[in-house]
Amino acid sequence: MSEFPSTEATSSGLLRRDPRTEWIARNRLHPLHSSVVSAGQGEVRGPTGLLRKNPHVIGFIGPNGIKRIDRANLSAAGLNSKKRAGEAKEVQLPLHVVDNPDGYIMVVADMIGGRLTSHDKDILGLAHQLVAENKAADKGNIAVVLVCFGESKETQFDLAGVDRLLHITGQEFEGFAPEARLSALMQIEAQYKPENWLFPDSIHGGTDLACRLASRLGERPATQAWQVTATSTVSRGASGSCDISRETPRILMLMEECANAIEDTRHQVLDLEFDVNSVDTGDNYRLIDQGQIEVDSNAVPLAEAEFILSAGNGIHNWDQFHAVAAALRATEGASRVAVDDGFMPRSRQVGASGTWVTARVYLAVGISGAIQHMQGIGQCDKVVAINTDAGCDMVKRADLAVIEDSEAVLEALMKLAQEHYSSKEQEKSDAA
Amino acid sequence: MPPKVNVVSLVSIGRHPQSGRSRRAEQDGRAVELGLKLSKKSLTVVHAGDAQEPVLRQYAGMGLDSLTVLPQPADGDALPILVDFLKSSKAQVVLTGVRAESGESSGMLPYLLAEQLGWPLVPRVAEILTIKQGAAEVLLALPRGQRRSVIVSLPFIATVDNAAAEARQTAFGPGLRADFKVLDVNSVKDEAMATWQISAAKPRPKRLKVVKAKTAADRMKAATAKPVGGGGKVMKNETAAEKAQAIFDLLLEEKVVR
Amino acid sequence: MILDWLPPTLIGFLLVLAGIGAIRRMNLWRAGQAEKVNILAGLLAMPKRYLHDLHHVVERDKYMSRTHVATGGGFVLAMVLVLFVHLFGVKSEILAWALLAALVLMFCGALFVYKRRMNPPSRLSKGPWMRLPKSLLTFSITFFVLTLPAAGILPEGTGGWVLTLVLSVLILMSLSEMLFGMTWGGPMKHAFAGALHLAFHRRPERFGGGRSTGLKPAVLGEASHGVAKPTDFKWNQLLGFDACVQCGRCEAVCPAFAAGQPLNPKKLIQDMVVGFAGGTDAKYAGSPYPGVDVGNAKGAPDQIITNGLISSDTLWSCTTCRACVEECPMMIEHVDAIVDMRRFLTLEKGETPNKGAQVLENIIATDNPNGYSPASRTHWAADQNLNLMKDVKQADVLFWVSDGAFDMRSQRILRAFVKLMKAANIDVAILGDEELDSGDVARRLGDDAAFQSLAKRNLATLSKYSFKTIVTTDPHAFHCLKNEYGDFGSDALKGVEVLHHTTFLNRLVKEGRLQLDTFKGGKVTYHDPCYLGRYNGEYDAPRELLASLGIDVAEMERSGYRSRCCGGGGGAPITDIPGERRIADMRMEDVVSTGAEMVAVGCQQCTAMLEGVVEPRPVVKDIAEILVSQLSEEVNS
Ligand code: SF4
Ligand code: SF4
Ligand code: SF4
Repeated sequence: MSEFPSTEATSSGLLRRDPRTEWIARNRLHPLHSSVVSAGQGEVRGPTGLLRKNPHVIGFIGPNGIKRIDRANLSAAGLNSKKRAGEAKEVQLPLHVVDNPDGYIMVVADMIGGRLTSHDKDILGLAHQLVAENKAADKGNIAVVLVCFGESKETQFDLAGVDRLLHITGQEFEGFAPEARLSALMQIEAQYKPENWLFPDSIHGGTDLACRLASRLGERPATQAWQVTATSTVSRGASGSCDISRETPRILMLMEECANAIEDTRHQVLDLEFDVNSVDTGDNYRLIDQGQIEVDSNAVPLAEAEFILSAGNGIHNWDQFHAVAAALRATEGASRVAVDDGFMPRSRQVGASGTWVTARVYLAVGISGAIQHMQGIGQCDKVVAINTDAGCDMVKRADLAVIEDSEAVLEALMKLAQEHYSSKEQEKSDAA
Repeated sequence: MPPKVNVVSLVSIGRHPQSGRSRRAEQDGRAVELGLKLSKKSLTVVHAGDAQEPVLRQYAGMGLDSLTVLPQPADGDALPILVDFLKSSKAQVVLTGVRAESGESSGMLPYLLAEQLGWPLVPRVAEILTIKQGAAEVLLALPRGQRRSVIVSLPFIATVDNAAAEARQTAFGPGLRADFKVLDVNSVKDEAMATWQISAAKPRPKRLKVVKAKTAADRMKAATAKPVGGGGKVMKNETAAEKAQAIFDLLLEEKVVR
Repeated sequence: MILDWLPPTLIGFLLVLAGIGAIRRMNLWRAGQAEKVNILAGLLAMPKRYLHDLHHVVERDKYMSRTHVATGGGFVLAMVLVLFVHLFGVKSEILAWALLAALVLMFCGALFVYKRRMNPPSRLSKGPWMRLPKSLLTFSITFFVLTLPAAGILPEGTGGWVLTLVLSVLILMSLSEMLFGMTWGGPMKHAFAGALHLAFHRRPERFGGGRSTGLKPAVLGEASHGVAKPTDFKWNQLLGFDACVQCGRCEAVCPAFAAGQPLNPKKLIQDMVVGFAGGTDAKYAGSPYPGVDVGNAKGAPDQIITNGLISSDTLWSCTTCRACVEECPMMIEHVDAIVDMRRFLTLEKGETPNKGAQVLENIIATDNPNGYSPASRTHWAADQNLNLMKDVKQADVLFWVSDGAFDMRSQRILRAFVKLMKAANIDVAILGDEELDSGDVARRLGDDAAFQSLAKRNLATLSKYSFKTIVTTDPHAFHCLKNEYGDFGSDALKGVEVLHHTTFLNRLVKEGRLQLDTFKGGKVTYHDPCYLGRYNGEYDAPRELLASLGIDVAEMERSGYRSRCCGGGGGAPITDIPGERRIADMRMEDVVSTGAEMVAVGCQQCTAMLEGVVEPRPVVKDIAEILVSQLSEEVNS
């Protein structure tokens, strides 16, 4: 079939001109001329083995819709549609090999949900910067070790810059277990004497563990560090209002984007020897984790809520609204008008004059979107609008907008939510 | 609630993010609030620093009869004197903010105190539910308003998260009249800090979306791509049920309905 | 006659009782805090204050004013004459005739009172007040009959002892009301307390056409701040509460009451009386605080007011619009009392509701209520080419920008005003980042400590520079600068004229320094900001300005001194006490009912409140914005 370049130009199958072939095609005297021209040029072997010409393929449709025959053969499919070889092929990144390292840099990852966070990856990137600096200064060959606790679902440690892996599993390290984890880190400290300990300065446990280790080791760490070299560190102080420069300490808590993540190399991900059972898991732990507790979605502070169902003056059936919020396990929000009219408490008001929200999904029902309101939801990832007015600002902002009376949609949503959760319940009780 | 627990709340001088002026620190204020809620009578509020600092009156204005000050120069190390103070006090619960708003704001102080006193530390507490039989049940604040319940044995140190109950309003009159107990302590200089260079925070360069495009066309595409979220899908003529389904699918996809 | 001694004895007896009551009542007032007043001058000035100032207010209701003159005047005259004729037994027909005349006058007045009470409007209190016209009528008839013999119309001894007995019973009835009730807490109390209140008023400047609207500064650093218990009020404030006639005029104009918020200024004053006299509000027979039942409030002179007498929500509902004060015939100062009690709640208890705590904290930490960076105060003027006082040190006019500098909507007003000043070639400068919040919000929220700190620092800044006039577009700041900063012993504003921008612009227009085209838009109405009108008496300049554009203002029913507040004052949007309706919505209804397409205002806060009303609604524009759009010449410099 004839292929027009425009339809073919996807990112993977990119068209490239090949000046040499074009030149050969123009030069009838060139020894390769006939083979170049005939390539894919409407000549096929028929079923009998005879060479046949397909007259339909000859020529092309010109810009004003008239069929033209290209005597110069410049647009020959064989010339122009030649794809770059290897384009689709997986690039094999070079492997960064560290054998018999002289030292280690430990990166203790947050691993939210069992995967490296982008914060973790930045820190691995930074670790490699420090390694390179050490190498340049002839301070030996250092391996970057990733220390992680609990279940891991990460499959791309190699691409993130992990030379060695210390994956510590076991019941006592799961959940909130700072004491057990600290014991493990102390064991690592004793066994490997790392050059540096790097932690994400994060609310996901990184800061906590780092502070524990630092105070146990009696080392003064740098917190909120954001510019780190092997010799000097700049960190934020006084609630982010000043920069403190000092010699790089051994323990660092690093801010997000402190360095670029690894992109161009693969790493070995060799398991480092570590005996979990030798960790001194004393029974004298004084913190007992009772697990995460079920939080009533409506008790979650509006500013922190992940999923907000928000009501405006397009809501007429308030009982239904509350029921749907409960069924969807969403946090309730409201527009100023709904609050002024007394349907919702002031604390639920979203917007510049109420609460600035950061929800992942903001579902706005019957809110047309006054400017202050739109300001307040500026940081939401996905906005869904249910509104009768297709022209309102909320619909324009929304990633998904449905133009419909709210009551009908909410009713249908309610049903879906109930079905969903009751089947979940079912599964749970079946499994139990 | 227990008949009596001795609570100590440590407070520092905060810094207003906009004006840079001294103020009651956000989290320390919450630490006092939590202390007041646990036991108004047996709460001791302690500040290591300058007793003349007017901001201390703002803490006192939360209804404290008195406030204990361990005098310290600005370059002093509060740790040793606080350890001494806590050792000699009968404190069972020590509350602090997670990070100070002024100074190094490293957040290390509570950890160092815990280490030196040999007490457990619970980080980022949102609420203390019960204290009985030598143990407390506390709720830790996790991101997105989630909570974790932890049992910790007394005595312990807790850092108070922003998710804890907001500090009550400070009243001018009581703050003015509160009694300051200025103790006589030796101060220790923070030597390490003297070697640091401290400057106003430089703005951090925002990480550009570095496009590792191998071809010019990819770069072009990355540069001109519509920002995510722009121009969403609008559903008009489908039935209400279909529309609801579309919304619900999005909720599932975003994992807010699980 | 055997019983001739009876009527004089009764009169004498009731007089003695009234005397005892008067002393007791005075002791109740004296339980309040000391406050210096000039007793003699006050007493001497009292008749004039009554006849001139009080009457001026009462005069707004012609019916009532005439009725009151007849009844009140008749009664006072009659009572004096009764003493001579019946108690001291002065035998003089002339006196007797005069007494008869006075009684007739009073009788006529009382008839009108009676008529009014047949079908009283809801703002009037019922209960004992319903009895009053009957007592008045009884009084006049009884003494009329009693005096007939003295006047020589009837022979002495007519009717015999039966009549005397009957009359005596009637005397007892009516005089108990008129004399005993006057000092023992009956409706007639208002005459006694009212007269003394006029004499010892806390703001004598208000009489004789003056104005006194600035709040009195709180004394800081004492054992307690603000008013916690009734006895923390000044004694003459307590006296003032006692003067209330429960006419309900304040209730009728109160925007918070109309919006269904739990505030009724009349009830508030009555509760204050319950507080310092002790007891409950069970006998109160007027409209309640919306949504709050009558009968549960208990008070005592030394009991904390917000513990059982009134709820703090009542205090926080007030917008400090002063409509009640303006309207009160007894010249009672509601706003003073409310702010005094708020001071206790904020300074002592730390209980400013809703966003109040945060706003006060912001004011303390950043010198503006919203916690913006103080260094961003002048960002709005980046392109305005305005002189900073810091650089020029002196200018003819200092433009006080106020916190509108941080708000995008208000900035439009500021820019419009700057443009007008430039068009008139005014030598103007601003303070830039040296300016601080005026302290208005802090003060109305009861935080006088924060207010005084701001005021003193602002005054210190002002005293560094020299200027003749200070102009502001914000009536709230205007009021603080003009009426409240004077209490802090600074010379910074001495000899300086403080003006609102409408007054200032009006002068420019009159002097021909601004060339304006005629306005060709639709109907325009004007909303008087309370802090410009009632607080500072400026009703004309805005109207003259609009007239200079050829605009014939379509006045709202409530305009001028009766203007209804927009709900933006007194920190009300911050404390945000729920009601049934929003005050701003009601004000917008007033605007709509004139059929206007645009409402002109002279206040950024009013602009914000009125623009907060859900559309469609008339356009809201500051007068400066309207003028700027009609400016004929462009600025050439
Ligand atoms: S306070 Fe004044 S206006 Fe209000 S009822 Fe009493 S006398 Fe009338
Ligand atoms: S000042 Fe205004 S709001 Fe306050 S009580 Fe008086 S009328 Fe009502
Ligand atoms: S904003 Fe305007 S109308 Fe409202 S209280 Fe202030 S001056 Fe009065």
